[in-house]
Amino acid sequence: MLDGFLLVGGLVAVGLLLQWAVGPVAWDAFAFPVNALVLTAFVATIVTVHALRRRVRLFHFLATGGAAVPALVAAVALTIVMGLMRQDAHGTGMDHMTAFWPFVLVYAYVALLLGLVVLRRLADRLAGRSHHSRWQDVAFLLNHVGLFLTMTTATLGNADIQRYQMITTLGQTEWRALDDQRRVRELPLAIRLERFIMEAYADGSPRRFASEIQILTREGRAYAATVDVNHPVKVAGWKIYQHGYDTQRGAESEISILQLVRDPWLPAVYTGIGMMLAGAACLFLFGARRKEKNAV
Amino acid sequence: MNAWDYFLYFALSALLLWLAGAFAAWRRRRAAAFWLTALGLGVFLTYILWLWASLERPPLRTMGETRLWYSLFLPLAGLLVYVRWRYKWILSFSTLMATVFIAVNLLRPEIHTRALMPALQSPWFAPHVIVYMFAYALLGAAMLMALWLLAFRRGPIADNELEGADNLVYSGQAFLTFGMLFGALWAKEAWGHYWSWDPKETWAAVTWLSYLTYIHLRLSRPRLVPPALWLLLLSFVLLQICWWGINYLPSAQGASVHTYG
Repeated sequence: MLDGFLLVGGLVAVGLLLQWAVGPVAWDAFAFPVNALVLTAFVATIVTVHALRRRVRLFHFLATGGAAVPALVAAVALTIVMGLMRQDAHGTGMDHMTAFWPFVLVYAYVALLLGLVVLRRLADRLAGRSHHSRWQDVAFLLNHVGLFLTMTTATLGNADIQRYQMITTLGQTEWRALDDQRRVRELPLAIRLERFIMEAYADGSPRRFASEIQILTREGRAYAATVDVNHPVKVAGWKIYQHGYDTQRGAESEISILQLVRDPWLPAVYTGIGMMLAGAACLFLFGARRKEKNAV
Repeated sequence: MNAWDYFLYFALSALLLWLAGAFAAWRRRRAAAFWLTALGLGVFLTYILWLWASLERPPLRTMGETRLWYSLFLPLAGLLVYVRWRYKWILSFSTLMATVFIAVNLLRPEIHTRALMPALQSPWFAPHVIVYMFAYALLGAAMLMALWLLAFRRGPIADNELEGADNLVYSGQAFLTFGMLFGALWAKEAWGHYWSWDPKETWAAVTWLSYLTYIHLRLSRPRLVPPALWLLLLSFVLLQICWWGINYLPSAQGASVHTYG
């Protein structure tokens, strides 16, 4: 286990050096096709490391608990720091933890170990060397592949997410929206706000706010829809959310703020989440079953 | 009729039944311990369902309301542990902890109005919170086991004595996973993204990873018993920060969407 701590300590040191040399991780640079290439290279690395596990002792070690526990300890420690420090999207150090090299490297290392234990377990099962029941192997693979898939695709796919705020005005058609940097963009959809709906509780707090809209695509199709909080509308790969309104005027608001999101990697992330949910069900149903006596 | 005015009577009846159950467990009268505790759970659950109906929304919005569920799930987790492993002390501990949460609720009710803001009006709301409260109760029971082993158990602890704690952590971790991922799926529908490193999400990740570390430490180094027990205590502290400590953290002030007053 000491080796594992030395390894992860070295990784943090490399991360600090990178942070000093090149500054925060530039996640914007990972937009397609860079993210797809990075993911392919990452998987190829995992397969290579797995294939060489009998020749390189370190590679064998990476798929053991001695490597996993220190990696998790480091991930916990860095995430605690993240929880204790106020985060800022423009921060340059631990105040922008998701772009802080040691944090990114430790999480990437966790993903590497996940990939390696998955291949090790599959290889053992295929070679008839598994010490585990078939159900234990299924549970193990659901948990580990699910987390691997969720972590990698959510992180690498982030640069491809398009998220815009559109301020629609009653009776007018709008196709311009603001991106995260408040720059104006023209979208392939236009939205016309037909009616803004606002209902309140007796004490005046909002019970419901929603927008009746007409959506027009570039192909000339038109859709009528009502967008409620918690009930986004799906059109042509976009999800349209009720985001806000003119809070000064409340029910009299003549504008409605909508959010438009497109996330092409979502199906991969949801596949991972689905596997983790099934894996968690297995964890609950089978519990901490003791290893068999002859297991190492 | 305001359901809240009747909380004292339901809570006291449930507590008396749980106390009687805990006493029966000490006297090794297993059937009595089981039925008394189960009856107390029935009384408390009846009250929660009545409150739910009278509020016309799930009672899950305020801290006070989540404490109600915790007061229910602690004796339930205690009862499950008792039935499975027959520790005679567990029902006393779970009753004591439920008493603390009920007392806090009597002193600081925090159950106000029928208003439920639009962001919380979702089919994900009830499962997300109930599953989390159940996980917290299971992991609370695991913490009690660790505490008992560290404080009262003399001599070396054999690794199979941790089997109960391990099982509770596996179940607790399963429910933490459900709670976290239900939250992610809900966040996608409500806010447009499934994970935003909101302070509550960050601490949920911390808690989840910490229990994951315990699981991997137990699997790979079963003989390292005291470090595993200390890790279990630390994980529970992290869980408390995630649940309510976050409201007092300067880093989270005004930065979390998980504040519903």
